[in-house]
Amino acid sequence: MEQRNGCISEIEVEFLVERIKQGDKEAFMKIVEGYQQKVFILAYSMVRNREDALDLVQETFMRLYEKIQTYRPKENFTAWLMQIARNLSIDFLRRQKSRKKDNLDVLELGRVDLPSPSDDPAKFNPKEMIHKAVARLPEKQKLVFILHHYDELKYEEIAERLQISVGTVKSLHFKAIQKLRKILAPQLGGGL
Amino acid sequence: MNRCHKYKRDLVAYLSNELAPSRAQEVAEHLKHCSACQKEVEEIKRLFSMSKDFKTELQEVMSTVDWDKLPSILTDRVWKREEERQKKLVDSWFYRWRWQPLAAGLIFGLLLGAFFTYFVIKPQKPSFLTARQESKVSVPADFIEKVDLALARRETIDYLDRSQYLILELLQTRKQDEVSIFLTRDKIQQLLTEKKYLNAQLDDVKLLKAKAICDQIELLFLELTQLSSGLSEAELERVREMIEERQLLLKINLVKKELQQSEV
Repeated sequence: MEQRNGCISEIEVEFLVERIKQGDKEAFMKIVEGYQQKVFILAYSMVRNREDALDLVQETFMRLYEKIQTYRPKENFTAWLMQIARNLSIDFLRRQKSRKKDNLDVLELGRVDLPSPSDDPAKFNPKEMIHKAVARLPEKQKLVFILHHYDELKYEEIAERLQISVGTVKSLHFKAIQKLRKILAPQLGGGL
Repeated sequence: MNRCHKYKRDLVAYLSNELAPSRAQEVAEHLKHCSACQKEVEEIKRLFSMSKDFKTELQEVMSTVDWDKLPSILTDRVWKREEERQKKLVDSWFYRWRWQPLAAGLIFGLLLGAFFTYFVIKPQKPSFLTARQESKVSVPADFIEKVDLALARRETIDYLDRSQYLILELLQTRKQDEVSIFLTRDKIQQLLTEKKYLNAQLDDVKLLKAKAICDQIELLFLELTQLSSGLSEAELERVREMIEERQLLLKINLVKKELQQSEV
């Protein structure tokens, strides 16, 4: 069965990759067209800054071109590309962490107290809180959460993209929600 | 509670519409009667709602990006960087592979030349003569010969003077005078060494008479060095006889005079 990766089919991806290996600029541009938004969503979900996310998109495609010779046909191209984007985003956050100690809360669990609605309504920003809470999730749980909630992918599509079983995706999603509920318990008004 | 446990792990998938229809129906039925699970579902829904807020932000940010132009911009940047990388590679290849053999060749040539000069080409004449012949300063050939001759004469006279003085000292030495003998032996060795250097000059300027008397003196000195450190009266007598027999002192005087006259 022909799988769809955005607007590019798997067969088309294989064809384009072969042409990129031979230095075809047009083929490379088509790959960028097909995957730029997916990479952006992943990068933005991790760094939550438009310019940084765009830089990461550029860096991801540059790395893709550098490594294209190592890509083997029949390998899951989307998973491969997302792995590059994810690694670059993690590197970026690590660099940022070492530069700015303030950003420690983005990476490490339990370091920062998130404001609750009862504290100060001006400080209570749900978008800010969910971003920080998601950033604290373990890598695979975070990725599944981002792909499902921001990229709106079904479990089956996530399984295919990450090359894991649907059952594992379901389990990772469940664990991610449980952890987020625990982190955001005061804001959600409940608790585990 | 036991019944809830069977459904709790499926609540997230249920709210995400990821359950099979039959299982989703079962969960929905359970939720109708279980307030604990309903509470949990409400909490998860609030969480999903918060994530939707973030998704809204994401969509707003994404709407500010020109996705139609971005591919060509990114592709151009990637190609430009690749071209720069290739250029650097070519440059490094040029410097690494084009010049290295040349440099290696030059070094090898220099080493070979040095080896050849040192081990194969040997000077045929004493170095001072070779240097003179290779000198680029143009000096008349007869002038150089005259200078060489004068130098050879001067050194020969000096050699003869000191030899004469030494021979006279030997003739006056008594057996008991051992200190004097030891000093004389040192001087003899020194004169023998000087004679080796003098030979080359004498050969070159063809001072045959001077060379003959110098050779005789050398012979005498060689014999003296072969004798024991303490000369007996008989040995000293034999040396004196040899000197008188060969009329060495007289010959030395004559040659010296001749050399001094020609020098003037």
